[in-house]
Formats: sequence, C-alpha cells, structure tokens
Amino acid sequence: RNSSDEKPAKFQPPPKPVIIDKLKQIEERRFLSPEFIPPRGRTDPLKFFIERKDMIQRRKVFNIPEFYVGHILAVTTADLYAKDKVNRFVGICIQRGGKGLGATFVLRNVIEDQGVEICYELYNPRIQAIEVLKLEKRLDDQLLYLRDALPEYSTFDVNMKAETRLDHEEIPVNKLKVRMKPKPWSKRWERPNYNIKGIKFELPEKVMKEAQKWRKPWLEFDMLREYDTSKIEEKIWKEVNEALKK
Amino acid sequence: MMPIWTKSGKKHAVTLLKVQDCHVLKYISKEKNGKTAQLVVGGKNGSPFSKSKSETEIFREAGVPPKQKLSVFNVTDDALIKPGTPLYAAHFRPGQFVDVTAKTIGKGFQGVMKRWGFKGQPASHGQTKTHRRPGAISTNKAAKVYRGKKMPGKMGNIYRTSFGLKVWRINTKHDIIYVNGSVPGHTNCLVKVKDSKLPTCKDCNKNPPFPTFFADGDENLPEDLYDEEVFQFTDPSVTYT
Repeated sequence: RNSSDEKPAKFQPPPKPVIIDKLKQIEERRFLSPEFIPPRGRTDPLKFFIERKDMIQRRKVFNIPEFYVGHILAVTTADLYAKDKVNRFVGICIQRGGKGLGATFVLRNVIEDQGVEICYELYNPRIQAIEVLKLEKRLDDQLLYLRDALPEYSTFDVNMKAETRLDHEEIPVNKLKVRMKPKPWSKRWERPNYNIKGIKFELPEKVMKEAQKWRKPWLEFDMLREYDTSKIEEKIWKEVNEALKK
Repeated sequence: MMPIWTKSGKKHAVTLLKVQDCHVLKYISKEKNGKTAQLVVGGKNGSPFSKSKSETEIFREAGVPPKQKLSVFNVTDDALIKPGTPLYAAHFRPGQFVDVTAKTIGKGFQGVMKRWGFKGQPASHGQTKTHRRPGAISTNKAAKVYRGKKMPGKMGNIYRTSFGLKVWRINTKHDIIYVNGSVPGHTNCLVKVKDSKLPTCKDCNKNPPFPTFFADGDENLPEDLYDEEVFQFTDPSVTYT
C-alpha cells in the first residue's frame, strides 16, 4: 500500500460469491431410455417420429422409471388367470432389448430353487406399475451369465422394500464379481466377444489364454460399424423432455 | 412394422403404409375397357426424366406432377372421380379389410431349396457332390420335362398380394394407414392398396367415404382414427375385472 502513487489505492471490491443453484444441477444429468434411439437402417424417420409420439403419450399416462441393467424391479401386470387378476414379479433386470414401442426388458429371479426369467414389454398396456426396488448398475450391459452363476446371485426377496433415491446424480456401480457353476455353461463367457467383466473366472490360465485366440482387435477400428448417436440423442432428448413437460 | 394392442390386452403386429401424393390421373370408359370402367391412379412424385413421352402426356393432361408408380383400379360407374383429384389415407376407415399388392423382395438367382422348398439330399452317408440339387426332374415314361417344372431361377421381384388385412388405425395428418400383419415388398417400396375381394369381408365396410374422401369438403376428421378395439395410449392401463 505504500506506493509511490499520489492517488489513493483504488477500492477493490470483495470477490463475488459463487452461487451453486442446486435445482439447476439436477437437470444436468440426462437420461434417454435406449428404446428412443432409432436403429441404423433405411426406414423413413417419419416412422420413428410417429412411434415416439405414441411412446411419449404412454409415458404421460403411465410412469416408466429410469432403470438400467442390474436394477432390481417389481412389475405388476394385469393377468386374466391370476388371483385378484393382478400378478407381481420381482427380479433383476438382465437385458434391455428392442427399439420403439416393442422395447422389452427381462427380469430374473430364483423362486423356490427354480430360476424364472420373464420378458416384459415396456409399452404393454397390461402393465399396471413398475417400481425400482434397488438402484445399482453392474459392470456389463447384459447379465445373461447369471444363468450359469451360482443361484445365490439371482435370488432376491419378493417382499423387498423399495430403496429411496439418494440424489438426482450418480447411480452407484456394483463391481461385484460373480462366481460361476462348473462348466459347461450356456455360452462360453470367457471369450472376448462377450467382453464380460463381472465374472470371477476360476478357470486355469491355459483356458483363458486359449479363449484370447478369438479376439478381434480390428473391430474397434472398423469405420462401417461406427454409429455415433450423440447428436441424435440430444435432439430426441429435447423433443421428449419438452413433450413430457406439457 | 409396429406392435399395436387391443383393449383386451392382445398384441398384433402392424405395417405402416404412407399415402404419398396420390392423384387420379385418367379415366378409361366402360366401352374402351372390357367390363367395368377404370381409373388410373398415380403414386409418389418422381422425376419426369425417367418416364416415356406418352406417360408424361398423361400427367400433363391431368395437371399433376409426374408420378413414380401407376396403378389401375376397376371401378363401378357411380364411383368415378375427376382426373386430378388428390387421394388421401382417409379414403380408408378403421375396421375395413384391405388387399395389399407389391413387388416382393428380389432374391436373385436362387437354387431349388430356397426357391421351391425342396428337401435336398443328406449331408453325409456317401452323397457325392449332391446336397442341394433337385434330384429327378421327370419320369421315364413321360420322356420329356413338363412345362412349369420347378427348377432354379430368379426368385422374387414379382407382384404378390396379401389378402384380407384389417385396417386398425388411420393418421389423417401424415396420411398413414396401419394395416394388420406383414405386406410384400421391402421397406419404403411402392404398394397398391385395394378394398378386399374376399367373400368374408364383403360386409365389413359400413359407410365408407364414397367415391373418396375430399379434403376440401365439410368433414373435419380428428388427427387419428382408431378401430373400436384398439387400445389408445391416452387411456389408463388395461385391467381385468
């Protein structure tokens, strides 16, 4: 402050406080259900537009929650031949398939020592409710290997209580490595084309090394297989959000 | 193709057909043609350079841009329409039955197993170079091969019709007809849609728009027309009592 300037030191205002708006932060995380993304093909985009209108219409009436493979869901459907005409099934989501209105998800559970998998259609009008009981992502996008894993990994309590959502951020990833039944398995999960990270392979090294023979390192660089969906996703996400807010 | 659900919870597969720039082009009178009068209808707009001079004359007389596909419909005398009128998807109504004709997907030169469904020969047990061949083509007494013998050749790319397809829904804004089941042809191919000729479907059409649906008329149709049994997504989920 003892400057040689004759003028007094200019008043420096204190730095402005940075306001973190929590509401705005919530909106930053975007999730677009994978069935909205149109597959690569020669179909007219008008067909996808019309299908999306129907899907949005259904979502306005019936809430389809955000879920990934590895979540534990409870689905209640209207069943003509069940007691009280309503059927409730709890299971872990193994796989999400299909695009558009025909999108499906498979739930697996072991009931009385019998493994049961049920494939539900997301937009089927017979579904009364979908509740997410436990939120956790797994290391892979499909958990079909649970069929060859020890049954304890696929058993879930039918009367499990719903877990409340922590925040609108970060679904936890469960890095569980599953132990398998002895071979033979339904598929050779050790091979690199399945790219499974969620199994604890207790196989001899010789077998693991031989499995690497089927490695296809050139696929990563194949340009014809590239399908960049980022721009399409953004457009569709905006469209879906605006339509749902109305 | 899309799934569609009925109010009882059953799922049906549905094909979407878009009515793109259809115009009536020409009227051929009963005397010129054999038994009934005919109307020539043109489909999707296309380039004038791929059509011959005689065909472009038809478009010029009707006052209509050149079309890619022309099809002929046999019409009764009271259902004649003036050439140049546009045709819309609302010409059909939900609950109606329809026949769809189109050229099937071309498979090229195919062998007898794929083309005609022959069984071929076993893969092993001593077969020498014979696994997908037709085998015998005639008998000894005939001393010739009959005309029309099923043999390898070009498969597909011929006109075929699927009969008795129910119309579930019509979108008047985008001119789309939702037709039950599958339809011959590849995606985005040009297709001819007619009222069904099946005897079981004769009385299914109650009060169709006759002779056709005119857009500048007094009728104001809603954007989507559904059949009575179709589950509309604005309704709540299906329950059984």
